[in-house]
Amino acid sequence: MSSTPRPRTRRLTVIAQDPGVRIDGKILTTEVDVPAEEFAPGPRGYRVRVIDYDTSTGTLYMPLQYEPLRDGRYIDPFKEAAARAADGELLDDPQFHQQMVYAVVMRTLARFEFALGRRVSWGFSGHQLNVAPHAFADANAFYSEQDQALVFGYFRGADGRLVFSCLSHDVVAHETTHALLDGLRERYTDPSSPEQAGFHEGFADVVALLSVFSLKDVVKLLLDPHHLKGREGGEDLIDPDELTPDKLRDSVLLGLAEQMGQEMAGIRGDRAGALRRSVKLTPLKPTDDPRTYSKMPEFMEPHRRGEILVAAMLNAFIEVWVKRIERLKRGRVVKGMLDLQSVVEEGSDAAEQLLTMAIRALDYAPPTDLQFCDYLSALITADKELVPDDTKYGYRAILLESFARYGLRPPVSASSDGSWRLFDGEVAYDRSHFESMLRDPDEVFRFIWENREGLDLDESAYTRVISVRPCRRMGPDGFTLRETVAEYIQMITLRAEELQQFDPPINIPDGMPNDQEVTLYGGGALIFDEYGRIKYHVNNRIRNVPRQGPRLEYLWQFGYFDDKAETENVFARMHLQRALNLPSTSAEEF
Amino acid sequence: MSPAATTNKPSKLRIRSYQVGFGDCFLLTFYYPKAKKPADKERHILIDFGSTGMPEDAPPDQMMRVARDIESECGGKLHVIVATHRHKDHISGFSTNKDGDGTGDVIAGLAPDVIIQPWTEEPEALDPKPAKGKAAGSKKALKALAVDAGGTPDARALSALHVASLASMHKISDAMLTEVRHLTDENRFTQRLGPAVAGQIAFLANDNGLPNRSAVENLATMAKKHKGGQNHYVHHGYPLKLSKLLPGVKVNVLGPPTLEQHAEIRKQRSADKNEFWMLQAASRQFWGLQAAAGELVTEFSSGKGGLFPGAKIYKKFFPSHDRWFIRQLRAMRGSQMLSLVRILDEAMNNTSVILLFEVGGKKLLFSGDAQIENWEYALKRAGKNDLELLKGVDVYKVGHHGSRNATPKTLWESFDRRSDSPGAADRLKTIVSTMPGKHGTKKNHSEVPRETLVDALKSQSEYHTTETAAERGELYEDLTITFPK
Repeated sequence: MSSTPRPRTRRLTVIAQDPGVRIDGKILTTEVDVPAEEFAPGPRGYRVRVIDYDTSTGTLYMPLQYEPLRDGRYIDPFKEAAARAADGELLDDPQFHQQMVYAVVMRTLARFEFALGRRVSWGFSGHQLNVAPHAFADANAFYSEQDQALVFGYFRGADGRLVFSCLSHDVVAHETTHALLDGLRERYTDPSSPEQAGFHEGFADVVALLSVFSLKDVVKLLLDPHHLKGREGGEDLIDPDELTPDKLRDSVLLGLAEQMGQEMAGIRGDRAGALRRSVKLTPLKPTDDPRTYSKMPEFMEPHRRGEILVAAMLNAFIEVWVKRIERLKRGRVVKGMLDLQSVVEEGSDAAEQLLTMAIRALDYAPPTDLQFCDYLSALITADKELVPDDTKYGYRAILLESFARYGLRPPVSASSDGSWRLFDGEVAYDRSHFESMLRDPDEVFRFIWENREGLDLDESAYTRVISVRPCRRMGPDGFTLRETVAEYIQMITLRAEELQQFDPPINIPDGMPNDQEVTLYGGGALIFDEYGRIKYHVNNRIRNVPRQGPRLEYLWQFGYFDDKAETENVFARMHLQRALNLPSTSAEEF
Repeated sequence: MSPAATTNKPSKLRIRSYQVGFGDCFLLTFYYPKAKKPADKERHILIDFGSTGMPEDAPPDQMMRVARDIESECGGKLHVIVATHRHKDHISGFSTNKDGDGTGDVIAGLAPDVIIQPWTEEPEALDPKPAKGKAAGSKKALKALAVDAGGTPDARALSALHVASLASMHKISDAMLTEVRHLTDENRFTQRLGPAVAGQIAFLANDNGLPNRSAVENLATMAKKHKGGQNHYVHHGYPLKLSKLLPGVKVNVLGPPTLEQHAEIRKQRSADKNEFWMLQAASRQFWGLQAAAGELVTEFSSGKGGLFPGAKIYKKFFPSHDRWFIRQLRAMRGSQMLSLVRILDEAMNNTSVILLFEVGGKKLLFSGDAQIENWEYALKRAGKNDLELLKGVDVYKVGHHGSRNATPKTLWESFDRRSDSPGAADRLKTIVSTMPGKHGTKKNHSEVPRETLVDALKSQSEYHTTETAAERGELYEDLTITFPK
């Protein structure tokens, strides 16, 4: 047996953003770390299988095969070509594309696992996500739960060159996020409200964009696209006047949007537009109606609603970065200029930390009927648990202010600092077993059924515990605390006329027949502390009339009671609607 | 144009709804008994002439039989042709052949004086003079569409992009037929795409494929072959002055909207007006990209190059561990193509001309295949919408062969001549030209004609359908409207 420990990670060359982002005409590449493993041809690893089949031409490309570990090192087969800036070799070789998708999917997965401190399953029963980098000749890319896959299209651009969606870092990260979010919160694809429908797109955009901003090479290029920064003794420097919030929004956010280009708008679902709008969406004043944006007809469309979330998070990213730069100014300054590399690192670190917060927040978000304000409280709570003392950079205050600028404030059920209130209900623990509660859905169900009154659950609803997962964090004394997060949902299916039995009654939407079947959802996330006691109960009661009434109205108006879309993949459909700016017209249909 | 008829108004109108299977073909004949000259005693309008599928027991030469009947009933002279939009099931009958004896040759021989089509068919819309350095669809052109301070968008450039996107849709449809063919090929390592999905894609792709060139050419030229003949490319509010040709008949154009008119409705939903135009342009560009992807399919499938010409591939054998996923991918591609071709089909339908005839105190509505997006301007525009005008419709030709989204509920509920009582005076009459089993499926409530709509039509109007003519083996469904003296 070898005495040298095997590496835990390996480096793989990828395109940093997409082939359009270049330095001196050469594609910007970078290396990313992924968990080390011995690949089968594909590559096929423990979580991802790349199968390079093109349905439009019926072609199956030979899979990439890697050299095994040798002398304690793994070989990256494309490192040398990237170092030579041999763009043609990378673009013309389907096996580089196979490596690209594998690496970005695994990097994104690793990011989630790092943030949550545990393995993260896909949203289907199966360990490996199938990825087809050249699935069809189409300006589209999406996640398909039923096919357990990410699929990427290719097409010819306006200049006659082939465009591969699988070579865009943000597109691959975005689609992977759909797959991961589907695994963490499977009910978020249920029809509910424009915000829940928009959350998938908005959250996937946030992850994709923060993932890109966490790459130092990309941030440096955006700050210094023409390598014009003053050199002093061989160092790259930058003028602090270029690092105001407005200047950073222009150079970094708009700069990236510009580089995303027009051709991929259909595939990105206008993420470039969302980036632009995150800069241009006018922040609300404290005296403005907070529902200003949420009431606008254009933001009733799910595929646009997520932009409000993107605007809030990205503007928070800029504010955090600016605050981190302030601390730099107390350090080394050369003739009034700051070290560019340090500024870049502060930016990529800010992006990394916000990304971790954004992912951790999912454990503290309700599993059904999510609103953006719920997610905000989840963000604040998750960070408060991890970093009780936030005074260094004040991430939480920045997030609260940034979200408030787009009309998003913590819900009334939250506490004064925006986090969830600690659970103070009366429950009994004596009829369940602590050890089983850490991992067994049946044990947790035993517990919540026993305590249905104390947890304010509807006894007549179908109730199911969807998941029981560990949630690890560092305590203030440096000890690792092992907490548990359990998700449960409740469902009731009624005839529309039975809605009037609620107290107060729920109005039947105009035009809905009395015998129309409607399904109401409720559910919660229970966070148990290291002693197995409930710390937080983040829930939506099924008989919450102020929430269920508007939800039904929205679903009825937008035709969600029809099942005409049953053959259509929900993400493929959402991306089409986004690309084509299609409004809903279901209310007018027979 | 023929000399003015007398100032008399028509005494009656006969509507022949020809049995063309899945398609539309309506001959409207206005009668002027008090006209002095025999040539002025009748005026004929043909609205559409096309089919994409006949009943199995229909005669093989049904379309020619229809053309000859039109020729006979018109006494050799047709006055107006309306080609509502360029789907094959509305214009295939206008195609000609080199021997000069196609159905379109028969129609051209009737020397129509006026041809009415949507504005998207106008030759100039297809070939604008773009601003210098700004080819339509280029990044610069798209930037030029943005509203500058105090300026207005270049609606003409966007219109050109819109028309170009319609042309892209034809290319996409043709490429889809290629893909469907290979997805339904036999291969021992994969499964064929299911016949239901393959059939629907093929049907819609065929209807949206490049229309027969001769039909398009015929419509563009047949009126101009004789003195006074005119083509009108219309939009909502277009002033069609046909009083000399059709005395006593007023023709209102309620659709399609121009892009500026359409924008009036859509901008209401948009906070940032500049962004609105960029989104509009981006959505039209999408079709250009799809068409470019479709070209790749056509090229690669005909052996002209490949995606990675030098790459090693599996030939005819697929490893066992890949086969499940390959099968899934192929089915997914079918489902994806179906979604796309449905959206594309709707976009083409929404170019339809909508005409409201007012004659003898009666109103007749012919809307082609116009769907909700087309109707929106007429029904919802700020200030003065057309609902008041549409209230008293007496005859409604049901949109898009009775589909779920071509009779907006707002429109249907505005018709005040609807009645549950079959004996009611002046009860609304509805006509549908359709054939079930060709378009959509009941499973996902997209069947054409749509059951819930047909139920409403039957219960609240005097319902006429070309299916009746098909069952009886007759050439057309006949309806006469008499005008009060």
